[in-house]
Amino acid sequence: MTQRMKRTRSQHDFVPLADDSLIICRCEEITQGEIRKAVYDGMSTMNEVKRYLRAGMGLCQGQTCSHLVQNIIAGELGVPPGEVETHLSRSPVRPIQMIELAQDGGEK
Amino acid sequence: MKNKDVIIIGGGVIGCAIAYYLSKQHVKVLVLEKEEIGAGGSSRNGGGVRQSARDPRELPLAMHAIRNIWPGLSDELGVDVEYCQKGNLRLAKTEEHIKILERAINQGCSAGLDLKLIDQKEVRDICPYVSEDVIAASFCPTDGHGNPMLTTLAYYKRARELGAEFITGESVISVLLQKGNVSGIQTDLNTYSSDQVVLAAGFDSRTIANTVGIDIPMQKILVEALVTDQQPRMFPQMIGTAAADFYGHQTKHGSFVFGGMTGLEPFASEETEPVTRSITASSICRAILGYFPAISQANIVRTWSGFLDVAADKVPVLGRVEEVPGLTLACAFSGHGYGISPTIGEAIAALVVDEKSGVSLDAFHYDRFKPKA
Amino acid sequence: MKRYELIVIGAGPAGLSAAIEAASHGMPVIVFDENPRPGGQLFKQIHKFFGSKEHRAKERGFRIGRQLLEEARRMGVEVMLQATVLGIYDGKEVSVMRDGQVEHFKANNIIIATGASEKMVPFSGWTLPGVIGAGAAQTMMNLHGLKPGNKVLMVGSGNVGVVVGYQLMQAGCKIEAVIDGAPRVGGYGVHAAKLARLGVPFYLSHTIKEAKGKICVEGATIVKVDSTWQAIPGSEKVLDVDTICIAVGLSPMSQLARTAHCDMENNAGKGGLVSICNEYGETSTPGVYAVGDVAGIEEASSAMIQGKIAGVAVSHSRGYLDTADFNNQVAQHQRSLKQLRQGMFGHREKGQNDPTQTEEGYPLSRTLLERGYLAEEELQNYPGVRFQKGQGVRPVVECTQNIPCNPCQDACKRGCITVSGKITNLPAVDEAVECTGCGMCVVSCPGQAIFLVDDTLAPGYSGVSIPYEFSPLPAEGSKGLALDRSGRVLGEVEVTTVKQSRVMDETAILTMKVPGDWSMKVRSFQPY
Repeated sequence: MTQRMKRTRSQHDFVPLADDSLIICRCEEITQGEIRKAVYDGMSTMNEVKRYLRAGMGLCQGQTCSHLVQNIIAGELGVPPGEVETHLSRSPVRPIQMIELAQDGGEK
Repeated sequence: MKNKDVIIIGGGVIGCAIAYYLSKQHVKVLVLEKEEIGAGGSSRNGGGVRQSARDPRELPLAMHAIRNIWPGLSDELGVDVEYCQKGNLRLAKTEEHIKILERAINQGCSAGLDLKLIDQKEVRDICPYVSEDVIAASFCPTDGHGNPMLTTLAYYKRARELGAEFITGESVISVLLQKGNVSGIQTDLNTYSSDQVVLAAGFDSRTIANTVGIDIPMQKILVEALVTDQQPRMFPQMIGTAAADFYGHQTKHGSFVFGGMTGLEPFASEETEPVTRSITASSICRAILGYFPAISQANIVRTWSGFLDVAADKVPVLGRVEEVPGLTLACAFSGHGYGISPTIGEAIAALVVDEKSGVSLDAFHYDRFKPKA
Repeated sequence: MKRYELIVIGAGPAGLSAAIEAASHGMPVIVFDENPRPGGQLFKQIHKFFGSKEHRAKERGFRIGRQLLEEARRMGVEVMLQATVLGIYDGKEVSVMRDGQVEHFKANNIIIATGASEKMVPFSGWTLPGVIGAGAAQTMMNLHGLKPGNKVLMVGSGNVGVVVGYQLMQAGCKIEAVIDGAPRVGGYGVHAAKLARLGVPFYLSHTIKEAKGKICVEGATIVKVDSTWQAIPGSEKVLDVDTICIAVGLSPMSQLARTAHCDMENNAGKGGLVSICNEYGETSTPGVYAVGDVAGIEEASSAMIQGKIAGVAVSHSRGYLDTADFNNQVAQHQRSLKQLRQGMFGHREKGQNDPTQTEEGYPLSRTLLERGYLAEEELQNYPGVRFQKGQGVRPVVECTQNIPCNPCQDACKRGCITVSGKITNLPAVDEAVECTGCGMCVVSCPGQAIFLVDDTLAPGYSGVSIPYEFSPLPAEGSKGLALDRSGRVLGEVEVTTVKQSRVMDETAILTMKVPGDWSMKVRSFQPY
């Protein structure tokens, strides 16, 4: 169930923070500042931030950074982290070479 | 409830584009999206910005977007939507395939499109990574690709900056009428009033339109996409095949995004949520490696799926519903809405504001579907 | 397609326990695990577990792992290793990659027991080599025999932080500090005390500000935080470390549950995103269960019971177990699970409150919570410290928090130590019972919190016996330094005896001859 959310233009200017250069998503090298700015620009769920910045789109599929990203989004939106819509999980849950997948006849 | 000039149902690339072009003209817009922004087909999408192999009715919409909107879109929206105009290769492995290409080339050329058949050597000059099995291709140099997720979110971001209001997580149940005219919509939580409602909700448009007695003959078809890890830069073209076994491109990031079908999709069991099926990713991979063996070592990091809203004649349903004054349709994109989304946004916005759409939408009228006999 | 009655994903404590349980009722079971060896985290758990006999208390984790594997083999459970489950599809189809080949299997039931991964905390320099998860450090040491570094800062004072911190010391690393943003030690006091008496300082209400270094960690800056977790300017401290271990919690690896369309919830108490399960571990997708850390972060002992409950439930639902047996067995396992979840560290209590006294009403030691050790003057508050002068050898049980654990009472054949009522109650020493000084209580305590003191050893001298788990063992008659609970050096002492036997399971007992008035001070020994 998707949480209801009203999204209107931010009423204030974006305020950078001293530690905005901190890398949050290591796979894709996305910083705290980029995530904060994305939220300022209206990205309000894990999926939206992921699609906008690629945070959590890397090889680990967000296993390391997703709770960090979630905390940042929650902080910017002023809601508890648990209320931030989490991103989807899709197979393969571990990376697999195309050639290996191609050899999968579907049944054995 | 607060009165809005226009209510748009659906926060995908179409709804967001319409919201942007309306907001640009200071129209007060409310967009209602039942999930997240871009949760539907807009994020399950090969990213093609193509004119080649389009239905002749749709071609003018694509040509307009590519000539007038796509090249400046990133600057206009303030977000890099990763538009890349390096051509589209549609690959052929057999004489049969070449015949399919020739038909599409004839159609395209007669509409004034720069589209030609090229031989194996020419294909390999353009893209040295294709396998020896590829004997020819059609090439359209003005085609390309973009990032559909970024495009959707960029339209959303800019529309929001211009004052559009978006509500996500709220489902529209019906369109409301008063004295025969659209008066608003009913959601699972609220009623919103407006005398202009634009329906851009993908397959869900059908059930919503049904509430005012309009039925659009379309089918919900599952398609799947997959993405690899970052690869060295190999080729910038949008790729498709005459056999229609896969399509895709290498993104700006370096990963490859591919889509495809197994052929069994129309017979998939009724799903409410898009699911990935155990047989699809491997099928797409087999197809791809048949054309691009060079990327066999790339890792698939994720697969995902979405629904197409496929019209009976495979072109969208666009424009006013005259019998329900105030209702405008923008749906049934049949799997090729992304490339034309800027045109659609502009045209529907113009239609709502000025009663004129700029490009002609006549061919896409909802009433065009007729029985065989 | 090959179809199994039950597919278990993950051969850790929860998965193996579930598989064994289901197989014991006659279910054909296969377990997939992506690792080259089974056991999940158990094989790096070289410490003794807490709990009671039925929870395999005082056994070391890796031995429990071996037993589970042996049991699984006996029950005919098929365990397929280096078999990575890529996804769960409709119709309970599972695709598995093994040796570069993808295979598909169907199951009538699936138990997801994929465990957890380590949480990270971002700070300047956190991507430098030398910043590692505490669990990763444990894997390096205990599975691969590699020392992760030499001088270590441990970030996080929960059980993972203090347990791994101690194991790092055992491996020969120096722990420069344990820090935690919270104002009190998060893990068991007895675990913290093991570190404190080796001289490891605890900095509570401190967070890491920066990892220094260009190409790898060359130091760390920590900073004090106020009650709103904001850094207090000017309170920075620079530590000379080459390794920063992060032990700030675990997050469930619940991706497979999501591919199986299980309804999920964000649950901070369970460590993050988990599938919503009923009391048997079944998710919203019928026939798909989630057990162990993937269903909510807890100790391995709880994971094993959860696994058993799911194994019993799945056996019952598919006709392998009748309802009466099912009810009996579930009730028994649930009782056992409830015991483990009691006490101030129980999964419902975690971080919820800041108690000032035990459930029985004993005051909690503030120094233990704030510095990691008990103050000598607090000892008399506790029922485990009861003796009279001149009584001869006596156990001193420095166990002061409600932890679900009672092997000490089974260890003493004379009934000197009792944990009455709840398993979390503090052990009490009966001063009327004569102590033989056998030391079985000392080695049975997973928290190494039991000592023997003998104030009649020699005129003016006492004997202090401590559990000792460092190698090499000091020789009898050798000398070294005696340390108090805070790690402060008291002076030179002689090791009079070193006791070790198979039943003690690698925990030796060192007896030191100390000046008489040190008997309640000396708790640690440092060889020269």
